[in-house]
Amino acid sequence: MAQLDIVDVGHAYAPGAEEERWALKPLQLTFESGRTYALVGPSGCGKTTLLNILSGLVTPSRGRVLFDGVDVTALPTKARNIAQVFQFPVIYKSMTVYDNLAFPLQCRRWDGARIDAKVRHVAEALDLHDRLKQPARGLTADDKQLISLGRGLVRDDVAAVLMDEPLTVIDPQLKHSLRRKIREITEQFRPTVIYVTHDQYEAMSFAQEVLVMKDGRAVQQGTPEQLFEAPSSTYVGYFIGSPAMNFLAVGRSDGSLALGGRTLSAAWDIPHGTTEVQVGVRPEYVKIVTDPGHNTFPGRLRGVTDHGAQRVLEVEVAGQLVRTKTPREEGIPAGEEVLVHLPRAKVLPYADGQLVLQS
Amino acid sequence: MNLSATDLCLTVDGVDHLRKVTATFEPGRLHTVIGRTMAGKTTLLRALAGLQKVDSGSLTRAGADFLRTPVWRRDTAMVYQQFINYPHLNVFDNVAFPLKRAGLSRDEIRRRVRQSLASVGLADFEQRKPSQLSGGQQQRVAMARALARETGILLLDEPLANLDYKLREQLRDEFKALFSDQGDTIVIYTTTEPAEAMMLGDVVLVMHEGRILQTGTPQEVYERPATTTVASIINDPPMNVFTGRLEGGQVTVAGFQATHVSPHLADLPDGAYRFGLRATDVSLAAGGVEGEVTFVEISGSETFVHVAVGESPFVVQIEGIHDVALGDLVKLRLRPDRLFAFDEQGSLVRTPSYDLASVEGR
Amino acid sequence: MRSRLYPVFKYTVIALWACFVAGPFFWAMTTSFKNANAVQGGPTYLPWAQYEPTLTGWRNIFGGAGGVDVIDPFVNSAIVTLAASAISLALGSLAAYALSRYRFRLGFIKNSDIVFFFVSQRIMPPVVLVIPFFYLLQWGGLLDTIPGLVIVTVALLLPIAVWVMVDFFNGIPREIDEMAMLDGCPPFQAFVRAILPNSLPGLTVAAMFCAVFGWNDFFFAFRLTFTEVQTLPQAVVALNSSIPPWWTLSAAALFGVAPLILLALWVERLLSKGNLSGAVR
Repeated sequence: MAQLDIVDVGHAYAPGAEEERWALKPLQLTFESGRTYALVGPSGCGKTTLLNILSGLVTPSRGRVLFDGVDVTALPTKARNIAQVFQFPVIYKSMTVYDNLAFPLQCRRWDGARIDAKVRHVAEALDLHDRLKQPARGLTADDKQLISLGRGLVRDDVAAVLMDEPLTVIDPQLKHSLRRKIREITEQFRPTVIYVTHDQYEAMSFAQEVLVMKDGRAVQQGTPEQLFEAPSSTYVGYFIGSPAMNFLAVGRSDGSLALGGRTLSAAWDIPHGTTEVQVGVRPEYVKIVTDPGHNTFPGRLRGVTDHGAQRVLEVEVAGQLVRTKTPREEGIPAGEEVLVHLPRAKVLPYADGQLVLQS
Repeated sequence: MNLSATDLCLTVDGVDHLRKVTATFEPGRLHTVIGRTMAGKTTLLRALAGLQKVDSGSLTRAGADFLRTPVWRRDTAMVYQQFINYPHLNVFDNVAFPLKRAGLSRDEIRRRVRQSLASVGLADFEQRKPSQLSGGQQQRVAMARALARETGILLLDEPLANLDYKLREQLRDEFKALFSDQGDTIVIYTTTEPAEAMMLGDVVLVMHEGRILQTGTPQEVYERPATTTVASIINDPPMNVFTGRLEGGQVTVAGFQATHVSPHLADLPDGAYRFGLRATDVSLAAGGVEGEVTFVEISGSETFVHVAVGESPFVVQIEGIHDVALGDLVKLRLRPDRLFAFDEQGSLVRTPSYDLASVEGR
Repeated sequence: MRSRLYPVFKYTVIALWACFVAGPFFWAMTTSFKNANAVQGGPTYLPWAQYEPTLTGWRNIFGGAGGVDVIDPFVNSAIVTLAASAISLALGSLAAYALSRYRFRLGFIKNSDIVFFFVSQRIMPPVVLVIPFFYLLQWGGLLDTIPGLVIVTVALLLPIAVWVMVDFFNGIPREIDEMAMLDGCPPFQAFVRAILPNSLPGLTVAAMFCAVFGWNDFFFAFRLTFTEVQTLPQAVVALNSSIPPWWTLSAAALFGVAPLILLALWVERLLSKGNLSGAVR
């Protein structure tokens, strides 16, 4: 397993394009050895370009790619010692499951006994050990995808496992179990994994760290919890979490923030002189209360959506819509007039769409 | 103008797709058919549309035999899970296609196409070909075509299943608004997602292995699931179902300490039961029973923690997103006042006391 | 090893193959401008330098002395090919659509068997087919007539059309026809309005195959027509005599393949413009 460093790497498919239009704007990243990472973002965000740069399919327009400190920028895919899992299973249909797993080792001229031990070990982990003699042709798509993964895992010198939307062709019913399986296996073998997906919840369910990308930029990198609790921009606040984070435009009065003429305290202060101040607060933390108090604002109930265990209430506060998620057992407030409490610690300040850091 | 299905049956190559499906669909209401993949939902829609012949049973529309009406005279529009549009026609002509077949005047066609494209937010895309649109936009075109016809029956087969989460969230809200003024149209919407069924449906039909297991308002089905299967289908994550005993005022669940029976179960006879508990009613709390984390998934703004207590699997839903490592040992606590009781065959015998009346009064 | 010599090797192979394919054309081209003396003087390729070009061969095929007129056979060939291709495409698409969309069962015979049955007509050697065809046309009084030849050619082209179109229709999602029916079209209208407009690529490919096979047919025309109707391949062969007039033969051959070359160029342009791809994804 290796540590992968991306040093000032940027890429433009059209030569000579101005930097603003690069598919991947220059960025600096480190993928630590033995951790799992997910690159997530809408199509065209640059996540596939970044993956292709790591795999060697694309040579970046600038910057260097280091595997354990060794510059591999100019090396082709096969010289990089990586394993890849693609959207569509890539397996040798005519071979048995066993031969599929053994093939990469035979190519490396390992001796028979060592191959056998390794293949059986990996097959056990993949739950394919009772089907080793079957031809791979007859397997279901999810098992084929496991073989694709297994072919990477048998090589214990592999630098990293790169996965590009590996659940795309899997039946919805089986997606869940395959994702679970892939996660279990990666926990067991601890390779450095880089997993590309457009599905934010798949990314968060799978990876220890998530890299949210947009327009060729890495918008935020962090654990799923960090992305949820402290989105670095209004975009991440919208992209992660359902319903999305509430963002409210706020004014200033006497040096403090104000919402609808009342004082609003955020988790920390915003330096003077910033324009376009917003506060972000997750619907989970917004509470409907009965007693007036600090950070509590009058509002009008505009809509109720039943999600089952929770209801999402839409409340208009000072002309803006605030969503709050309430457990079913709390019921729906009687009457249209409600009081909304925004707990101070969960109210984050944003200026020009970016989280204002605590000074 | 009801659409009534009675005892619809269909077997293909020895596999039962529909088993005695009986249901009545009413004008002006939105019916969601919820079930897992392969439950027979699509087959049911196709049978209602006339695209699929059934082996037996009857289908009537306003009392008249509907099975003999050919597809093209059923006054039915359908939106597929795959984004199906006419590839050779631009967006405007796609929406206009059925209107031309219906022989409407040019002005009327133009008016309706513009109106329905505007309602799905595609007013500026009239000249594009479907292949030049994103998945979400293609599905909106299909939606606009279905709406523009103002048919008596509108069928939607998991229309959001192939879209990204954020888009799904957004379109779900849009659909809610679109369907709210559908006049006398019978709308039938299939889905695998409980949240979708809950928020869109006036009526929810729970389907499983070709059968309709329960029909009712979202409230009724959610709060009084007729069987353990329904309980599992209508909850996401599926309701925890486990066996236990009720004896001498005590509830015993394998692996857990016996607790005093909560009032809503107090008058039940002693014996073996299957209990159901929503993932939101299991909590990670100090002093509970120890279990091992087997899997963690994140959905929306919630973390689902799968925990094994001995051999029994439980799912715990925690608000917000949390890092929980696989293999961690955690303490589980069950809320006895939230237990659903089912008999050994899985039929509901008692629900926890949600105040249904006060909610429905609104 | 992927050495620096690899590109040299690659392009050498491509160039050799190109010579192999284009060589006969070049040979026919030079020969068509020669006269008897130039042909007998051994292989020569460069006009003016090695031989004096003349238009004798070309004059001969347009009614010049000692030659034949190829215009009439050309028109005959064109009529037979166009009519037979059009009929085959029309019947073939209908048959293919039915085979693609409906399940047929006659005892153990299924759709795939029917498709194979169609294609199998082309497996049989033409000699086997020509005798029954001869008697059929004789019985119908259609020997040595254009309609007779059209019927026979349709029989030859239909399998190709069906085979190409079944495959193409299978690639169009069924939901498109279903939607057209839901949108108020009875099945035939659904086919015409929703499926055919999306089948242009398939129809073009099928039409090209039909045109090539129809245009190049020699054997059936040779056996089923005699004096009244002569197609172009027959006319070219008829030029042969004990001392072959190579220059005239070459001119006739080039004239004969010209329409096919034009057709191929046109289809190639359509393909490269992307007009045919992407209609159905």
